[in-house]
Amino acid sequence: MARIERRTAQHYEWWLLGLVFLLLGLGLTNLMSATHAGAEGVFSPNVVRQLAAIGLGTVLLVAAMIIDYRQLERWGWFVYAAALLLLASTLALAPVTRGNQSWLVFGPLRLQPAEFAKLAMVIALARWFHRNPPASIRRLRDLWRPGLILVGPVGLIVLQRDLGVAVLTLLIGCTYLLFVRIPARAWLAVGSVALAVLAAVWLFGLEPYQKSRILDVVDPGRDPLASGYQANQSRIAIGSGGLLGKGYLEGTQTQLRFLPTQHTDFIFSVLAEEWGLAGASTVLVLYLLLLIWGLFIARGSKDRFGALLAVGIVGMLFWPTVVNLAMVLGLGPVIGVPFPFLSYGGSAMMASLLAVGLLLNVSLRRYMF
Amino acid sequence: MSQFGPSGATDPFFDGRLRLFGVAMMAAFAIFGLRLLQLQVLQGDELQQRSQRNSIRTERLLAPRGEIVDRKGRMLATTRPAFHLEVVPSELRDPERTLTVLAALVGDEEGRLRTSYGDPRGRARFQPLRLAADLDWERLARVEAHRYALPGVLTEIRPYRQYPHGTLAAHLLGSLGEVSPAELERERFEDYRPGDVVGKSGVEALLEPQLRGRAGGRNVVVDVAGREVEVLNRVEPATGQRVMLALDLELQRAAEEALAAAAPPGEPVSGAVVALDPRDGGVLALASLPSYDPNLFSGRIEAAVWQALNADPLKPLQNRALSGQYPPGSTYKAFVAAAALEEKLRTPTTTTFCPGGFRFGNRTYRCWKREGHGTVGLMRSLMQSCDVYYYRAGLDLGIDRLAHYAHGFGLGVKTGIGLDGEQPGLVPTTEWKKRRFGQAWMPGETVSASIGQGYNLLTPLQLAVSYAAIANGGHVMRPRLVLGVVEPGGALVEQRPVEVRRVPVSGENLALVTEGLHAVVDAPGGTGRRAQVPGVSVAGKTGTSQVVRLEVTAGKKGLAIPRQFRDHAWFVSFAPSEAPEIVVAVLVEHGGGGGANAAPIAQKVMQRWWDDKNGRLLPDSDEPEADATTAAATAPGGSRGAD
Repeated sequence: MARIERRTAQHYEWWLLGLVFLLLGLGLTNLMSATHAGAEGVFSPNVVRQLAAIGLGTVLLVAAMIIDYRQLERWGWFVYAAALLLLASTLALAPVTRGNQSWLVFGPLRLQPAEFAKLAMVIALARWFHRNPPASIRRLRDLWRPGLILVGPVGLIVLQRDLGVAVLTLLIGCTYLLFVRIPARAWLAVGSVALAVLAAVWLFGLEPYQKSRILDVVDPGRDPLASGYQANQSRIAIGSGGLLGKGYLEGTQTQLRFLPTQHTDFIFSVLAEEWGLAGASTVLVLYLLLLIWGLFIARGSKDRFGALLAVGIVGMLFWPTVVNLAMVLGLGPVIGVPFPFLSYGGSAMMASLLAVGLLLNVSLRRYMF
Repeated sequence: MSQFGPSGATDPFFDGRLRLFGVAMMAAFAIFGLRLLQLQVLQGDELQQRSQRNSIRTERLLAPRGEIVDRKGRMLATTRPAFHLEVVPSELRDPERTLTVLAALVGDEEGRLRTSYGDPRGRARFQPLRLAADLDWERLARVEAHRYALPGVLTEIRPYRQYPHGTLAAHLLGSLGEVSPAELERERFEDYRPGDVVGKSGVEALLEPQLRGRAGGRNVVVDVAGREVEVLNRVEPATGQRVMLALDLELQRAAEEALAAAAPPGEPVSGAVVALDPRDGGVLALASLPSYDPNLFSGRIEAAVWQALNADPLKPLQNRALSGQYPPGSTYKAFVAAAALEEKLRTPTTTTFCPGGFRFGNRTYRCWKREGHGTVGLMRSLMQSCDVYYYRAGLDLGIDRLAHYAHGFGLGVKTGIGLDGEQPGLVPTTEWKKRRFGQAWMPGETVSASIGQGYNLLTPLQLAVSYAAIANGGHVMRPRLVLGVVEPGGALVEQRPVEVRRVPVSGENLALVTEGLHAVVDAPGGTGRRAQVPGVSVAGKTGTSQVVRLEVTAGKKGLAIPRQFRDHAWFVSFAPSEAPEIVVAVLVEHGGGGGANAAPIAQKVMQRWWDDKNGRLLPDSDEPEADATTAAATAPGGSRGAD
């Protein structure tokens, strides 16, 4: 510990932490506006819960910074198994709410194990690729083990009927494919198989509402009052914000609640409506900064496990951002995926802060060997 | 193998892929940035407007329709607020329970409310849905008292037309209805919207522009559930103008009551009474029976009621006073007499011998008095309605000269009263017959025409207008429904009387005819003595127009004849004969003889006029105007302006 403390002052990692907390502050401010309508007082129950999640998440972040991340390499399988167990028990115990079965409820506490399972999967994959260097993987069939690691949590999340998080978990896992040495023609083969699978899913696996959400991306005007309602209202909210926005607490789409699920999935629309292009692009730049910073941490890591862990965590922050922004901006289908640090949601918040803690951990220990 | 050396130098492959990842990220964020630019800058204005359209609702505030009052300011048509029960489905906590409670509160069948509620989905869930229309005061109060416990339940207030006297003067006042798609196409209705109420008939249609008023509006900010958050601005609706009719409510009542009382036992009565002021054409009464209740049309009329009104063989919706065309019968003789005098074919002293019939061609035209009138001059020809005198006078004039004078009295064309459904009647000429039938006029047809039979047709209103022209010295006036329109300040803007034409008969000759008409009522042996009003010199003329050839009803008399074969009974009169101020025309369909059946009706109307004039009536018990419905006009959200 003492070693860390001595070096801290010189390390710009604290700026990274500052960046995260800047985003958290912006997120909270924005959440206050998103939940302002109809709420009594300044702090809506949602804001209070979010604050609690940030508090708990900060504790997790500090804890994740303090332990040596290399311990995780040893305990990787245990973490992964615990996550699978948690997902399975959710399936067994949790009530079905709004078609999903993804919440474990302990009194006032509600936990979404899938959010933590993503991190556990990243740890397990980082551990596996640490032992089987990705640069040495040249054949598709070498990937069957990490494939299995991926399928475990994704499959369980699909069973919970939480399609958004399942897709996200899949994408996060696939981040590692970027680093294997499999030739292009193999990817072509994978691509065609994937296409066939997608076609099959489209034909047999998707509910009609899911299909319309995808069709709405291609043609936003096809059903503006039903399946396209959310995307349409989001587009209106963002566009009507203009250059400088309508002002804090002044967004009509937000305050009159025309925006659907505005405190979770469509939180970015709230920001764009009230702060305009100026505010929205600022947040985008801050985000990009955070992600690129994460890549530099991966690059600077002394050992492969740290680098792979950092890459996975960057993927964990990158993919929900991309999927959410695509949805909110009308470039992708409506999938219930929260925006990291901005959306209301305790489990996602705590899991993200935990991940940032590990990222800082990797960063801080690069001079330690 | 240490790819991750202490220097921090990494495997170049891994490093390259990291760079690739970074570039992909930047590309993705660049796309998002460009999309933001597109939405917020390029499409910013358009989406800004759409967000306003989302949240700003423009509501129309309907203007209360102007009141219609009679010549003494008595209310004929007014506007009251009507309350509708509505719900916003998305706001209902428990639709099933709410419907059950509402059914109990408004005393309606639960099934009916449930049918009105239906199964709202999508956007419809956020919009108010009407469950019950026009709640009465008591039921409204019950709903209001429970509204705090029923989120999502609204009471919507709209102005409703009310005719306090029900069926009285229904045809004249007219009725309302929703503007039709065909009407919306017309320029006159360019500022109307579907669902707007518009005058469909009667004065309501004639004075639609004045009565309608100007709708106001307000812009309110609403949230996604349609709840009002803020009122941005409000333009008050302008109440329609008050219209004062020439009608005399009590005279109208007397006319309808007298006509209704003429019904034979166990049979219906149908007919019309028109009372005009001959000095300005003012329509004092315009009755048509059977009638209907225009209040039925103020809301949404029930299909069964509408069908019953249309299917009724007596056609209660028809305004017989101006769309019913009948042979004038002997009432026509006044015009023949005036024409013969003006053409100097007759003088007051020339006489005709009536043996009880008239042989012309190879046919005998009977006088109604079989035994004959003997030697008949102008006065007695009118007084006793001698047919033979007019057969000869008509033949001397010829049909075309007769038609010239008939037209001169305003017959054969619409009077221009302005009400819908008016018919022009028919004054036959040789040219008309050629055009209509391609045949030459037969002299024998002139014989029939000179006693108002044959092709001649006129409406009760036309008869009143033409006799008014006799009474006022030759002025054919356009019937004047409206005395004026009351401006917002309270001043009456008078609608001036209009003279349509001058009768081509001198004042002296009209005075001679009037003298004969006076004798009809006043002299012993006159056919219209039942029209006498004590203390007033009444002039008049009876008429009995055949519906079918005499052979059909041969051997039968009075009520023994089936109703549809009975003669129409006419009577037309004016008084005082020296300075007339009222003309009354009466038609009783299938009423039989005019002197016996129509004259008493005219008498009652006249009597009423003079009773009223001489103050022999009890003081008017004017309708109480400040009743509950008026008080309700100040209820919250009321769109009714100040009275």
